[in-house]
Amino acid sequence: MTSPDDTSPATTETEAAMTSAAEPDSGVKVTDPLSKILVSARGLQKAFHGRTILKNVDFDMHIGDITVIIGKSGSGKSTLLRALAGLTEPDEGTIQFDDEVVFEDQKRTKAWATVANEVGMIFQAYTLWPHMNVLDNLTLAPRKKLGMSAAEARDRAEAALAEVGMKQHIMSRSTQLSGGERQRVAIARALMMRPKLLLCDEITSALDPPVAAEVLGVLSRLKKEDHIAVALVTHDMAFASKAADRLVFFHEGEIAVNTSPDKAFNDNDNPHLQKFVDAVRF
Amino acid sequence: MKFDWSFATDILPRLLQGLLVTLELTVIVIVLSMLLAVPLAVARMSKIEVIRWAAQGYIEIFRCTPLLVQLFWIFYALPVLLGVTLPGFLSAVIALTANLTAFMAETYRSGFQAVPVEQIEAGQMLRLSRMQQLRYIIVPQALKQQIPVILSLNISLFKDTALVATIAVPDLMFVANTINSESYKAVETFTMAAILYFVIAFPVSLITSRIERQSQLAGQRGAKVGPSLLSRMLPGTKVQDVEEVAEEKAEEKV
Repeated sequence: MTSPDDTSPATTETEAAMTSAAEPDSGVKVTDPLSKILVSARGLQKAFHGRTILKNVDFDMHIGDITVIIGKSGSGKSTLLRALAGLTEPDEGTIQFDDEVVFEDQKRTKAWATVANEVGMIFQAYTLWPHMNVLDNLTLAPRKKLGMSAAEARDRAEAALAEVGMKQHIMSRSTQLSGGERQRVAIARALMMRPKLLLCDEITSALDPPVAAEVLGVLSRLKKEDHIAVALVTHDMAFASKAADRLVFFHEGEIAVNTSPDKAFNDNDNPHLQKFVDAVRF
Repeated sequence: MKFDWSFATDILPRLLQGLLVTLELTVIVIVLSMLLAVPLAVARMSKIEVIRWAAQGYIEIFRCTPLLVQLFWIFYALPVLLGVTLPGFLSAVIALTANLTAFMAETYRSGFQAVPVEQIEAGQMLRLSRMQQLRYIIVPQALKQQIPVILSLNISLFKDTALVATIAVPDLMFVANTINSESYKAVETFTMAAILYFVIAFPVSLITSRIERQSQLAGQRGAKVGPSLLSRMLPGTKVQDVEEVAEEKAEEKV
């Protein structure tokens, strides 16, 4: 659900992009490929044990966008990410990924199997498998799922680790790494599957601010260099204002505000958002 | 009373033959139980209620009845129901395996459930299949974590094999009992039998202690254990944590 105070610009922009994506022959020339919608969720609903967590949520993300999702605990942020990731099945609604309908009629479609690899997710803690070293953590899925040879997977792992500044730790055991290093390796592991969308669920919550900034810096670089869309649940307002393209505020299962960070922080009269931002900043 | 060392050494070859049967039985039962416990543990966690209840029912039956009763039931009652006679060794293998599998399955299950859900979901997000998640993520971690419990179960099983003497399987206990009835030298006979059981079980117990200590240290960067091999193995040896190691290093500098 889009906020009533920000319906017109976002909706117009979204509709134009959706039209261009859905109707390639309509005569609308798409000049910027990054303006294309990557993920589009409509009317998502989810309830757990009689409590509604997502209430008719509409949510779009463009290729290469960083969307920061904020809101109180239990407001539906993580449930939305899990629904997009395929870890939770919504009770109602549809999800479209890269022009393919991947969820409708309460189940995943056949198209999901082909695009699922392009969606990665990183969690707050316990992200790496402790019984493996960094290299094995990164290469397991490409070898077993994509059928890559060990050498090919290693090359890709080295490249992914270089992207997050962790190449020197390739043979380290995950238990030897600090929290920030583990999260950077977790990002590299997600990159191994060449995702178009990276979902990050409070990945910096357990980290000190400087380490968190380092991890978030990696995400900004991925957006700029690889045009990977990132949906990030975080309370880091400094990152949201500097790097995010959109800021989505969840309140009681609904998207109460969906706008640019600048507008959200400086020109928004949603009392719940203001209260939340004040509380987090304090 | 004087301990007759000469008699004790004389009966050693016979006792060793019995020990060989005990070891053979132990190895067969452990291997079978460790394999059969995997599907039983998975069934115990199944989302399908009938499968879960069936698995739980099996486990509870074998956990809540004495092993000796199970052994007698397989040896005396099962042949009546099936109309065939089961040899003592086979009956022992079946009863001990059925019993150990129940305990082993519960050990596996608690290990599987101790693997943080985020690690399994990380596997799901990398689109590994259920079998791949089980094989590469869950089982290795669960086994590693549960090795001390598994070894303890195996030591118990090794000792429990003494019960098979009651159904005339010629194991160490059966041989000792026979020697005692022939010689009436209970002290020498059963002392030697106890020593043989101890000689096999004690090293495994030491290894269990060492693994326990190592697993306590897992994740503590820079932690170390006591300096000698024996101190690392002996039960009750205190594990130094990271802070203690740091304190020690600071003192060394001073």
